[in-house]
Amino acid sequence: MHDCKERTRLLIRCGNGEALQMANEITEKYPIEWISRPQEGLAMIKVRETAGQTLFCLGEVLITEAKARIGGHIGLGVVTGSRPALCEALAVVDAACRAELPETNRWDAYWARILERENTQDKMWLAIREKTKVDFRTMKE
Amino acid sequence: MGYVAVQGGAEAIKEANLLAEYNNCRAGRAISVEDIRENLKKMVDSVMSESSLYSPELAALAIKQAQGDPAEAVFLLRAHRSTLPRLYFTTVTDTAHMRVERRISAAFKDIPGGQILGDSPDYRHRLLDYALCAQSPADAQDFARQYEANIREASERTSAEQSGNRGRLPKLVDFLRSQNLVSNPDLSDEPPHDITTEPLVFPSARSSRLQILTRGMTGAVTALGYAKIRGFGISHHPNIGELRVGSLPLHILSDLSGAQEEYYIGEIEATEAEIFMEAHCRGEEAENVLGIGLGYGLCFGRNETKAIAMGVLEHSMENPGPGDPTSDEEFVLLHVDAVESTGFVSHLKLPHYVTFRSKLDRIRNIRKEQSRV
Repeated sequence: MHDCKERTRLLIRCGNGEALQMANEITEKYPIEWISRPQEGLAMIKVRETAGQTLFCLGEVLITEAKARIGGHIGLGVVTGSRPALCEALAVVDAACRAELPETNRWDAYWARILERENTQDKMWLAIREKTKVDFRTMKE
Repeated sequence: MGYVAVQGGAEAIKEANLLAEYNNCRAGRAISVEDIRENLKKMVDSVMSESSLYSPELAALAIKQAQGDPAEAVFLLRAHRSTLPRLYFTTVTDTAHMRVERRISAAFKDIPGGQILGDSPDYRHRLLDYALCAQSPADAQDFARQYEANIREASERTSAEQSGNRGRLPKLVDFLRSQNLVSNPDLSDEPPHDITTEPLVFPSARSSRLQILTRGMTGAVTALGYAKIRGFGISHHPNIGELRVGSLPLHILSDLSGAQEEYYIGEIEATEAEIFMEAHCRGEEAENVLGIGLGYGLCFGRNETKAIAMGVLEHSMENPGPGDPTSDEEFVLLHVDAVESTGFVSHLKLPHYVTFRSKLDRIRNIRKEQSRV
């Protein structure tokens, strides 16, 4: 089982479809209480600059946020952009993991598929980057 | 003379708005928001940066609504932003975690990780490409398909080790700090000022200066940065230590579950510039020695010229020179904002009948007085 940071990273970066499927499995079996349905809002991005090594506000990013409750466990879904369906799915998956529902232990196939997709995407991305790497040669007389 | 309330023009305003819409539609063409987002990326990036709101979809919509006027698009986005609640602050985003797509140094040839050109117009001839007049969506799809096929082949040779570091590259400045060539101030966790919630006061905090510069108008920041380099203060040419473009992962903290936990929420694309300038710094025995000063620029999207100019300007304000207008924070910070500057200049178009009439009356009265004398 991935921790919260890694789980959300995988689902948002490479597992949008799987997040919807996982959430679907849960909503078919358990009653979901929506504390808040997806709403758009902002997150201010705090960054550390490298000259003075101080913090400053870079600007805001549009986000979508939802909160769901399953059996007394609250799940949070937050994602950049306007993505209500993914946001809802993230909240349900989060609540399911916190409630330690038995279904969450049967998601290994999903995680394996997401990790494989991430690996393929990363290799493609890196291959593009490597193509534009400068190969310096020293000029000879 | 007192103020006289007048009304009228509602019908003319309605018709003016209809005419603007007609002029935009009369050729029977409608560009999609998606086309703007995908094909006018640099414009989308600069609008997001100047409006201080990262959303490629909303920026593309604003550009369409503004008929391509960047200042108007920024105005629309800033107005929209004011209708949305701020739900979170991210945790501190460290640019060392950037997934780097482009990275160059003009100061050193051999840098750890290499010089990566990425996607940049810097290496193209500035000649109009007439082939684009006939480019169709099918042509674009064919090109993308062919390019991806070539990359797929190359990606088979990419090792797991290469792809394992999530695209991070070591920072040049860290190497220079290890050599004591660049000062290494202690990490400060002092909460930053936020100029969207607190008024700007002078002398300004460093965090306020950086926030205003990063959301400044690209043209204004570039022009003032150029003024600094060209001759208002520094007698030498800055060097680009490192310029990076890539994706920054964002995280928030939540304690909904009882304990504080970190959530990944997505990525933003950003440009970071570290500019080297000759400067005095503290030596090993606290003596003043000649070293390298660092100017810092960071902005949303691919915005290289702005990030470089931001670095030059922030260094100028941090190290003010006598008689240098680009060191004058009031001069720089109060004039680079897109909405404030275009808004003020544009307001001159609004009716000023009463104020102008009073000016005329004053001139006439003074002339009358003078003729009597």
